[in-house]
Amino acid sequence: MIRACALSTFGMLLAGVLAGCGSDRPILHVYTWADYIKPELIQRFEREHECRVVLDFFDSNEVMFAKLKAGASGYDLIFPSSYMVHVMWEQGMIRPVEAARIPNLRQIDRSYLRFTMDPEMHHSVPYMLSNSGIGYLKSRVVDFQPSWAMFDLPAYSGRMTLLNDMRETMGAALKWLSYSLNTTDPEEIAQARDVVIRWKKNIAKFESEQYKNGLVSAEFLLVHGYNGDILQVIEENDDIAYSIPVEGTSIASDDMVIPKDARNPDLAHAFMNFLHDPEVAAENTEFVAFLCPNMGSYERLDRQILEDPAVFLQPDLLEKCEVIKDLGEDNSLYVAAWDAIKAAE
Amino acid sequence: MASDPWPGFARPRLVGRRPASAPGELVLSLPSLLWLGVLFVVPTAIILAMAFKPADPYGGVGSGWTLATWRSLGDPNYPAIVWRTIRLSCIATVACLLLGLPAGYAIARAPFRWRQTLLLLVVVPFWTNFLVRIFAWKVLLHPEGFLRNALLSARFIRPEQTLMYNEEAVLLVLIYTYLPFAILPIFAAAEKFDFSLVEAALDLGCNRIKALVLVFLPGISRGLLTAALVVFIPALGSYLIPDIMGGPAGEMIGNKIAQRVFVDRHLPHASALSALLTLSVVAPMIVVLLTRASRSPAGLRRET
Repeated sequence: MIRACALSTFGMLLAGVLAGCGSDRPILHVYTWADYIKPELIQRFEREHECRVVLDFFDSNEVMFAKLKAGASGYDLIFPSSYMVHVMWEQGMIRPVEAARIPNLRQIDRSYLRFTMDPEMHHSVPYMLSNSGIGYLKSRVVDFQPSWAMFDLPAYSGRMTLLNDMRETMGAALKWLSYSLNTTDPEEIAQARDVVIRWKKNIAKFESEQYKNGLVSAEFLLVHGYNGDILQVIEENDDIAYSIPVEGTSIASDDMVIPKDARNPDLAHAFMNFLHDPEVAAENTEFVAFLCPNMGSYERLDRQILEDPAVFLQPDLLEKCEVIKDLGEDNSLYVAAWDAIKAAE
Repeated sequence: MASDPWPGFARPRLVGRRPASAPGELVLSLPSLLWLGVLFVVPTAIILAMAFKPADPYGGVGSGWTLATWRSLGDPNYPAIVWRTIRLSCIATVACLLLGLPAGYAIARAPFRWRQTLLLLVVVPFWTNFLVRIFAWKVLLHPEGFLRNALLSARFIRPEQTLMYNEEAVLLVLIYTYLPFAILPIFAAAEKFDFSLVEAALDLGCNRIKALVLVFLPGISRGLLTAALVVFIPALGSYLIPDIMGGPAGEMIGNKIAQRVFVDRHLPHASALSALLTLSVVAPMIVVLLTRASRSPAGLRRET
């Protein structure tokens, strides 16, 4: 996922404030990840619908969830990851989507719906799909293999990072052991724990945010990260490459949901429809480098991104990928293993 | 007197120079009491209470009361983190005192003109944001950076060694960050210290080291104590520095609390850890207050 970029956050807020001066146009309040929508598209939507879009950002599902639970209201559209959509639906925090008001729903690529927790699109509409994999410097990691086993190589000791994310990093180890990354079998989790403890000896740190910059400046030579994040920095340093391990990885879908107390559900539906307009979706995919699962947009995409195996996964590899699911009570199995990993010397 | 637990606070009334009016005192201390009450006592009480609540799997706090969270603090993974937190904080405190003492002394003894400049130099780093300064260290210690390459070519470090993401890097930045906080109270105490006492000790046959240890250090003990506290307490609660400079085995309690809130969605557990941290910060404060209080009757008699 893309993390908060303070500068762009500020810019957006400022733009929002300025645009709002002395106008009584309807306002759409959107709560999403930073750098996740092409800004020009938002301006276009504002023009077409004579409204104002106010963006607010979160950098983790948990922070967003905690804020809503603590009483934050007034959002019309939120972009949580699928597992959190499930939690929010269970908690009665979001309302069903009115399919009739989103004609572009027919554009959605059904083959990706299995990666969401709501394949009927009853209360959520997929926005972007991401996956985690390995980013590396081509000139420095000459013996690169697309495998999680890279973290076992002492040659890059102290120059690699794993995500500081319990489920992602344990998931990588589970995939390497060819187990499901949603397993609740204590024996499988224990094996994965030992694998991560072994990997830990070779890594510089567990890092979820600075790995991008670290890769650009050659501080890190090989990092575990999200495809869009790493594809974005390839533009700064073309020595960087991204690859998905053959053992499989996690795929995440960020979906759009309308909270129960939304003040402007009409505009929220209009915005979802707008984002799934094939032309808009193509422009957006090229900007954020994640994949908008929109059939009509594919033919409009640049060849480079269309043929990028990190965005459009090969079918046999896609078969091995899974969505990280919220495990409810069983989450504690992972928490205990993660604590042991963090404490291990 | 003996039954009064806070004799130090009763001093104005006993001295009796000013008209002692209890309502007046109350009005004067009301703003600070309110401040402490609203921003410290109430939140701390809420945190403490939450630690006795069960967690619900959605990250909220369940109903009813439980001791399960406190029992889970016996988890064998904790001692390593607690020990690391205390050890790093202690080393940082001692290092800051050892560095701050000569610095504070030198500034206090410098000619007046110089003193202002030197003090300014101590404070200047605060003009830059704390986070930016930590990131500056990342640039300095970068694995492809000038410093590491120089050390490498001088064969001070082995090729597989890096300067960051280890405990030493965390310590270095902890000391760097808190050193000004140690220098300032030591300087303040040394500035008020009457250096003719040291001269007298020298005249009476003390050597320089003995005079410093026996006369100067006890003379600025208040400043040393303040310096130790203002380094030790924030160091215990460090979160950012171990997060940015620490390696995979560099977690401190602050990082664990953050994990409990943001990743595990377990507020009661985070609360119990925070309560533990608050307690370990408040405990030394109370000890200090008590020792000061027990010392003050003697001072009181001298004053009256």
